[in-house]
Amino acid sequence: MKQTVKVILLIALGIFLLSRLLNGTLSYYIHPRFNVLTLLTAVGLTALGLVYAIQQRKQAAHNRAHEHDHDHAHEHIHSHDVSWAGLLLLAIPVVLGLLVEPRPLGASALQNREINIGNDVSLVSANAPEGSELSVIANAGERNILDWLYLFQRSAEPTAFDGEEAHVVGFVYQDDRFADTQFMVSRFTVSCCVADAAPIGLIVEWPDTAVLTPDSWVEVTGTIQARTFNGVQMPVLVANSVSPTETPSQPYLYQ
Amino acid sequence: MAQVKEKHSPEVEKVGRETAVSNPARNFGRILGAIVILLLLIGIFPNLIPSGLNEKFQTFVTIFLGIFIEAVPFLLAGSLVSGLIEVFVDKASLARYVPKRAVPAAFVGSLLGFAFPVCECGVVPVTRRLYQKGLPVSVGIAFLLSAPVINPVVLVSTYVAFGWGPVLIGRFVFSILIAFTVGLIFQFAPPDEIVLPQTDEGHEHDHFAMGAGNGRSQRFWQAFTIAGDDFIDMVRYLIIGSILAATMQTFVPQSTLISFGSGPVTSVVAMMVLAFVLSICSTVDAFLALSFVNSFTTGSILSFLVFGPMVDIKSALMFLGVFRRRVVLYLILLPLLLTMLITVFINLNLGW
Repeated sequence: MKQTVKVILLIALGIFLLSRLLNGTLSYYIHPRFNVLTLLTAVGLTALGLVYAIQQRKQAAHNRAHEHDHDHAHEHIHSHDVSWAGLLLLAIPVVLGLLVEPRPLGASALQNREINIGNDVSLVSANAPEGSELSVIANAGERNILDWLYLFQRSAEPTAFDGEEAHVVGFVYQDDRFADTQFMVSRFTVSCCVADAAPIGLIVEWPDTAVLTPDSWVEVTGTIQARTFNGVQMPVLVANSVSPTETPSQPYLYQ
Repeated sequence: MAQVKEKHSPEVEKVGRETAVSNPARNFGRILGAIVILLLLIGIFPNLIPSGLNEKFQTFVTIFLGIFIEAVPFLLAGSLVSGLIEVFVDKASLARYVPKRAVPAAFVGSLLGFAFPVCECGVVPVTRRLYQKGLPVSVGIAFLLSAPVINPVVLVSTYVAFGWGPVLIGRFVFSILIAFTVGLIFQFAPPDEIVLPQTDEGHEHDHFAMGAGNGRSQRFWQAFTIAGDDFIDMVRYLIIGSILAATMQTFVPQSTLISFGSGPVTSVVAMMVLAFVLSICSTVDAFLALSFVNSFTTGSILSFLVFGPMVDIKSALMFLGVFRRRVVLYLILLPLLLTMLITVFINLNLGW
């Protein structure tokens, strides 16, 4: 019976990983460079489950055929005897994965992490390494939040980007530091898995912040202007349109 | 065993048919049924719990699955290596290659990562298996602590992130030094007080000795089964570790930690605690460490890169599957103190 449960759990875990990979929600958890690895793991776990099932069938047949003369060999598959509680543990990832709707990290996770808004050294800074390929996105309208922050960090002058047009997608974040006409359009950057997710964001000036739902995804278009936020002068995105949008299929930004 | 089975397979079938209820067939039916139900669940009820239920819980689940999914491939790889070692490495040849004297043995252990390139999740089942093959305790400890860093993948990723410099050199030299030292310390303890007794050892060995003449495919078959056992055994610790790490990350604000440390000592403490809590894989932690370079001392970055791969929440939990509890405590404290000693010294005296 335990063996059967083991087989089911191994295969279930494999199928679970595969389903997340196929419906694209795997990118809510880990960097896409792990996709192939996850695929191999899903196949490997399913194969292991099948090997177990076949071993088990052979074993059962073997036991019945040799009940008298082969006592010592009977239990060999049961060697690492895992308790029922242990098996229950094994089910946790699949059960949680099935019961809880897959969602990328959002504003609630952000409260626990430092936010990188560009040029304030007291915040966790410089996610983008020097000499990164991010430096060469010439068309301002195609830069994402990370590209902008990277540019801001390289320039000591907050006014250096005044007047450049920007078009970015992110989720809405606000806390006590923001005035009524400000919010932050935010993303998480991920270098491995969501355990290392670091929030970044652009401060947006927009008169209608009251109608925005926190944590909802928006598309912001406007121009960059140097403004004062929380006592520090920094480049800010002055919006001329903020419109709701779908969660992107790649919710995180990668360095 | 397969030989035995094949020889008797007609008889087996007969017995199977004669039995009123055929157990294997019924089991297969159950498995198939369960798979179908699972597929239906995955297909039909992806949103069983409303998303607004609890933001924190949602965050917790996302981080937990993130850590788990990222680590599972490495644990599976480690289990497969463990299975292959069990079947293809015999005690005598292992004993031939491992030096007898304490100092060279611990040194070999700390460089063994180049022979078995595994990261911090994979290293645990491999170490356990090598112990069953009679690896000396000190060598295993040095291997366990150093292998997550001392391997080609981590070498390259650290080089890509930091280039040639004190961080790269320091990471590798200090990891070897600490693993070597801790290994040497354990040299003086009797093995049966270190490693958990292996319930299966005796007869599994008999069994595979018996199967040794059965040809290559049969031995791969056995390796697979052992890998499955090892995986199921260790993945439980990985799951508990991931749950703990995700809980910490969901409820303890990182800002508390980061604002805590800019001094030569406090920055080291902050980064070591961060490494312990984050529990990210050693193959990629260099990229994360890079984002702390501007706000943290070089010593503390090194402490993150040296201590993190040796010990973090999830690997500490997995150690519990191999070692006695007291030993796990030492395995956390010794690297912690040594790393702190070295990196605080660097911060105070060298000014890297």
